[in-house]
Amino acid sequence: MVAARTFQAVDWYITEMSDNGSAAPVCLQIDQVWKIFGNRPERALTMAESGSTRADILKATGCTVGVRDVSFDVMRGETFVVMGLSGSGKSTLIRCASRLNEVTKGRVLLDGDDLTAMSEDELREVRRHKMSMVFQHFGLFPHRRVIDNAAYGLEVRGVDKGERIERAMEVLEVVGLKGWENHYPQQLSGGMQQRVGLARALTVDPEILFFDEPFSALDPLIRRDMQDELIRLQETLQRTIVFITHDFAEAIKLGDRIAIMKDGAFDQVGTAAEMITNPQTDYVREFTKDIPKTKVLTAASVLMDGDSTAATHRVHLEDTIESVLPHLLSDLSPVGVDDVEGTAVGIVDRQAVAHVLEAEE
Amino acid sequence: MTEALEAPVGVGARRLDRAAVSWLILGAGVIGLQLLFAGRTFPAIWDTLISGPIDQFEAWGRSNRLTHPLFTGFFQPVTDVINWGLTAIEESLLWLPWFVLPVAVFAIIARNGNWRSGVVAGLAMVYPGLVGLWEPTIETLALMGVSVLITVAIGVPLGVLAAFRFRFEQGMRPLLDAMQTIPAPVYFIPMLLFFGIGKVPAAVATVIYALPPVVRLTALGINKVPVAAVEASRVFGSTNRQTLVKVQAPMALPTIMTGVNQTIMMALGIVVLATLLAAGGLGQEVMDTLRLRRPGRGVAAGLAIVAVAMVLDRVSRSLAERDRSKQIDKRWVLGGLAVLGGLVVFGRATGAVAFPTVWGVRILDPLDAIVVWARDNLSFITRPLNDFVVADVLLPVRDFLLLSVAWPVLIFVTAWLAWKWKGMGLAIFSAVSLLVVGFIGMWELSIITLVQVIAAVLVSVAIAVPIGVWAGRRPKVEKALGPILDGLQTIPSFVYIIPVVMLFTIGQVPGLIASVLYAIVPGIRITALGIRQVPNESIEASQTFGATPRQTMLGVRIPLAAPTIMLGINQVIMMVLAMVIIAGLVGGGGLGFETVNAVVRNETGLGFEVGLAIVVMAMILDRITQSWAERLQPPATP
Repeated sequence: MVAARTFQAVDWYITEMSDNGSAAPVCLQIDQVWKIFGNRPERALTMAESGSTRADILKATGCTVGVRDVSFDVMRGETFVVMGLSGSGKSTLIRCASRLNEVTKGRVLLDGDDLTAMSEDELREVRRHKMSMVFQHFGLFPHRRVIDNAAYGLEVRGVDKGERIERAMEVLEVVGLKGWENHYPQQLSGGMQQRVGLARALTVDPEILFFDEPFSALDPLIRRDMQDELIRLQETLQRTIVFITHDFAEAIKLGDRIAIMKDGAFDQVGTAAEMITNPQTDYVREFTKDIPKTKVLTAASVLMDGDSTAATHRVHLEDTIESVLPHLLSDLSPVGVDDVEGTAVGIVDRQAVAHVLEAEE
Repeated sequence: MTEALEAPVGVGARRLDRAAVSWLILGAGVIGLQLLFAGRTFPAIWDTLISGPIDQFEAWGRSNRLTHPLFTGFFQPVTDVINWGLTAIEESLLWLPWFVLPVAVFAIIARNGNWRSGVVAGLAMVYPGLVGLWEPTIETLALMGVSVLITVAIGVPLGVLAAFRFRFEQGMRPLLDAMQTIPAPVYFIPMLLFFGIGKVPAAVATVIYALPPVVRLTALGINKVPVAAVEASRVFGSTNRQTLVKVQAPMALPTIMTGVNQTIMMALGIVVLATLLAAGGLGQEVMDTLRLRRPGRGVAAGLAIVAVAMVLDRVSRSLAERDRSKQIDKRWVLGGLAVLGGLVVFGRATGAVAFPTVWGVRILDPLDAIVVWARDNLSFITRPLNDFVVADVLLPVRDFLLLSVAWPVLIFVTAWLAWKWKGMGLAIFSAVSLLVVGFIGMWELSIITLVQVIAAVLVSVAIAVPIGVWAGRRPKVEKALGPILDGLQTIPSFVYIIPVVMLFTIGQVPGLIASVLYAIVPGIRITALGIRQVPNESIEASQTFGATPRQTMLGVRIPLAAPTIMLGINQVIMMVLAMVIIAGLVGGGGLGFETVNAVVRNETGLGFEVGLAIVVMAMILDRITQSWAERLQPPATP
């Protein structure tokens, strides 16, 4: 029941709000961004560019290198996950992207406009209309009711009260908080508080959403619920998302592409399957080691050319190897693979699967 | 590897050498200076260096008060505005029928659902009227109201500024520190210079004295707002102003209101003291009864101050309370306001405006008799105690420090302690400022005050630390003591003197006893806090190794609590010092008494000198004990 109602609300939300933005494929462009904390960033920058380590720079200048020459593009509608351990600079990076932190060097382009070159007023206009953010510890306003929290973005934009409350109510329904609008945040559970955070971010109908470890403070089961909820919302909303996490499993679950961050720089960028089949550094390999490959890799990652018309079993490109395995085991012949439209694109056989599963050992 | 193991040994050895050298320096310095300067008094070579110009300025001010732009353009308008506010508040409070105030007090507190507290505070508001002190109480409330309004109007913006401008905060901090270290009466002295005698200087002194907590807690409240909330506000495109008004200020409000509560309590303390400036009100009432030897009336007036303190504390806390779930319905609030309005109309219409004073006098005469009886019948204890403390303790110690020990030795020892515990900077500051105090002729008075402070601190610590340790270990004891300590902390310092003076008459001992009573409260509190905060894991570790309770106490609890206990002792010292100054009012002698003389006889120059001596003493005692507490802290990094 709840789900059905929610989906109706989502449908409404899509029709109302999805017609914004231009058609350009790249939404956010991070271009050689550096962030250095401390009083002598220029000196630290010169040192860093000539290859000094973080520790040496700290010792010599007292400056901390937060982000070290990072570049990436995020496509419209893509979920880009930055994964790293604490101190890797991932939170700093997302704060540079939203210009909560000023970048030391480099550019941040949103829809082709350089955020780093904007005046305070221009930046404020972009923030009011194009971006929003969900925080690790929610960042809710305890003195405002749930509905006023959700409506905050519209309030600072100057939307009048009736209209902003109406829209906030609709979004609260989308995230499953209907009936809680007059409570105060601290009266809600952690998971529900983060739903308020999500609603607050969605109410302004942003082009890009920044998520700063939004589910890290939640219990494992609630965290899984919230991840599923986000996937469900994203299926219909198709927003551009930059998502920060320290949990590799979460990164794989949510990310269209993943960047592994270490010491302020990207170690590797790619899809989950690429990370697992082809980790480029030992650091990335450490993370992928414990991930059950059969659950992450899809038929696409072991696809081979071949005539599939003779195959008795057929699977889709997006099916996980786990779901393909029973077919392969029941029968010696290869399994045929179709794409989304149902066109045959190739085959998967035992050898190919065995090869990719053994690759590590 | 070997290096790492050897290093601590090397450091230890070097430290030992340094300690030996520093003790040698101390010994040599003391002996040398004692031999050189024995028997010589402190040469007051700068006797008029400070007082001279100030007295001149005052004389100039007195004759130019009506003509010079400094007065006509600034001080006179300020005086007029404050006076206007005072009169307005006082008159409107007296215009209201008397029963409106208690009902309003009750209603404000009860609106949060605290019915019992509301009734108690409402009754407390009636009490001053019952003993015939309604008008002085209103006078005090009006002075409080104006002072607190000005304080908040200045303090909150300063706090906001301090929260956003790091430099400004950096600049403010030492100033606020100093303002909180200086005992209240010192603020009166410069006021005389600019505002003369009366209520206005009292209000201005109160504002300056009570400013620090508002500024501090406003800044703290705003800085305490979680970063994520501020970032959330910014990322949605709020202007700085929107972030401040919609997010930071509302979230900081409870902390700011705590600051306002503290300010109100501090303001009450000083407003009562402001009788010295002829500010009237309840303080004046107490002073008069002391002078008229009507001790019972003095007690009644003291209790009226306590009642006002309680009412103000409860009301301001209740305004700060933000627990919406407990709050009663808005309709009740509106209904309550309507009832209050009705009461006003009813009171004005029937002429029942002034407090019916018939009861008051009947209570007061017997009260006088009881207190006189107690004084006479307890004199077999109080008199010998008084004589013993004065003749066998205070005077010999004073003579020792003043006559036997040469004055450079005292300065040297102070500087040595400052150097050893803090560093060269504090040592030089201490030495130079003490020299100045001596040269301007304040040495003897300072020593008298110092002896009183030492005596009161020793007694206070001897009482407070054991009780604190006991309370810290037994939550039940602490819980039982809680309300008593709360109550004692709400009472303005001056009130402590009243019962003691009633029993001992005037002299040094009542001041000391009042100081001890006043200072043991934070001593107990902070000691208990320190003991309680010792991590349970450390205690359990000690017990696992088979330590006896005594061993656990002496080996784990007390050492780990030592820095906190030291801070408690620092508090005790500062409160004793403040109180000893106030005790000058009742003939305690020393700097305090001289302050009173300066204010009463209008010797502003002398007042500045005394004030300077007090400030120097306060700052040195504060810094030295604080750095001692810091040294007890286990090192944070290896």
